[in-house]
Amino acid sequence: MSSLYQILNIARQSMMARMQDLDNTSNNLANVNTTGYKSSRANFQELLSNANQMSGVELRSTQLMQGAGAVQTTLNNLDLSITGEGFFQVKLANGTLAYTRSGQFGLDAQSRIVTPDGNQLVWSGTVPAGAQNVLVSNNGEVSAEVNGVRTTLGTLQLARFSNPGALLVKGNSLYAPSDASGTATTGAPGTGNFGSLRANSLEQSNVNVALEMTHLITVQRSFQVSSKAFQQADTMMQEAIQMRKA
Amino acid sequence: MIKGLYAAASAMVAQINQQKLLTHNAANMNTPGFKQTLSSLSEWWTTPAYTATDGIDTTYGNWLGNLGLGVESLPEISDFSSGALESTGEIYDVAISGEGFFRVKTPDGERLTRDGRFNRDAKGNLVTVDGYQILNSAGQPIVLPDGTPSFAQDGTVTVNGVNAGKIALVSFKDPETELTRDGENMFLAAGAPTGESVGTIEQGYLEMSNVDSASLMTQMVTVARAYEAAQKMVQNQDELLGKSISTLGKIG
Repeated sequence: MSSLYQILNIARQSMMARMQDLDNTSNNLANVNTTGYKSSRANFQELLSNANQMSGVELRSTQLMQGAGAVQTTLNNLDLSITGEGFFQVKLANGTLAYTRSGQFGLDAQSRIVTPDGNQLVWSGTVPAGAQNVLVSNNGEVSAEVNGVRTTLGTLQLARFSNPGALLVKGNSLYAPSDASGTATTGAPGTGNFGSLRANSLEQSNVNVALEMTHLITVQRSFQVSSKAFQQADTMMQEAIQMRKA
Repeated sequence: MIKGLYAAASAMVAQINQQKLLTHNAANMNTPGFKQTLSSLSEWWTTPAYTATDGIDTTYGNWLGNLGLGVESLPEISDFSSGALESTGEIYDVAISGEGFFRVKTPDGERLTRDGRFNRDAKGNLVTVDGYQILNSAGQPIVLPDGTPSFAQDGTVTVNGVNAGKIALVSFKDPETELTRDGENMFLAAGAPTGESVGTIEQGYLEMSNVDSASLMTQMVTVARAYEAAQKMVQNQDELLGKSISTLGKIG
């Protein structure tokens, strides 16, 4: 009987894993049009308890897929995309740094370069009031027309991680470092292993709809198989209990 | 009569064990590199059967043959057939096309796996999805410098055109007997590798689980029916036992 309970538990573990996988896949599909979004993969691994006892499957980690999204051109000069590796550094309202691949920037009322959520882009200068036509070059140089003269205002640096797949997802296309990702190293765009910038363009989401949809099918089917196994273990239990006729 | 009761019960226990294996395989239908566990059943011990005696005579009756005492599960074996390769396009995903295993360093010693969901950890080591280091042929971890790695078919890793090490593959002539399951999605080798050739490494692919869902479902049906039949046999034996107790002793 105890091993029949074990079967119920293995099947339950598997069904729960499939639900988590479904959540993850749904989130990817929901963000198929989100600028700078990196699709996430749920990594499942065989689960063994004490002394190699079979216990089903478990969600071990989620991993951000690092494939580049397609680049879309736009009319905004401050729309930036990164060709290659690296993240923009932005400062959150609480002063901590976060990292993003979504380069939708604009100027706020105080002439600061900000994301649509109002988080400031981290760079070495400031845009003076009244400056016109702010541009960012391929290697991260920020310039603007001040009193009609194009002036260099500063530079922006990109951040890289040893294991970008393990960054923590903070929502709003923002990421934070984790123990597994390592700490950020910064550098000028286009140097070393840092990607270069491209203005008037945005990186689209890297979600592959065809892959996600086929994944959805396999998730559903394996859920069905496990629920069948659960039902069958239940029937077997019932039969064992009913064995003794009154 | 009692012998038959236990023989039928042993069949129920064996089928429960089969069902457990099948459920575990089903749970890992989508686990990359997973090798399904198989088990078969075999006849358990037999006992000689003799013609009945009156119970007073101490000599045995005539030998009739051997009577089976039930069924048992044979030791589990792993099915090492290859799973399908699935394209993921991820740079750290690698699959072995053909024979071979990756060498993995775990806290309990060296293990082998076919699960190619690799990553570069915070210190630059090439690691498995569980964070264990992948080893080269000298048994040393592979440390990757910054940059995008490229895995050649022979396992050589190059980063920005510079050689960064080589992933070791080991193979076995008869993995079913030479390897035992030890650890999650990993195997322990009994001795040195005995295989003559190894397969190639394919970057951007994962080897999926080799669980065959169609045969799994049919096996599950077989288990259900065999279990049901054994359960009915226990009931029959019980009925016969009941009858013999209540009617055989009756006088008049």
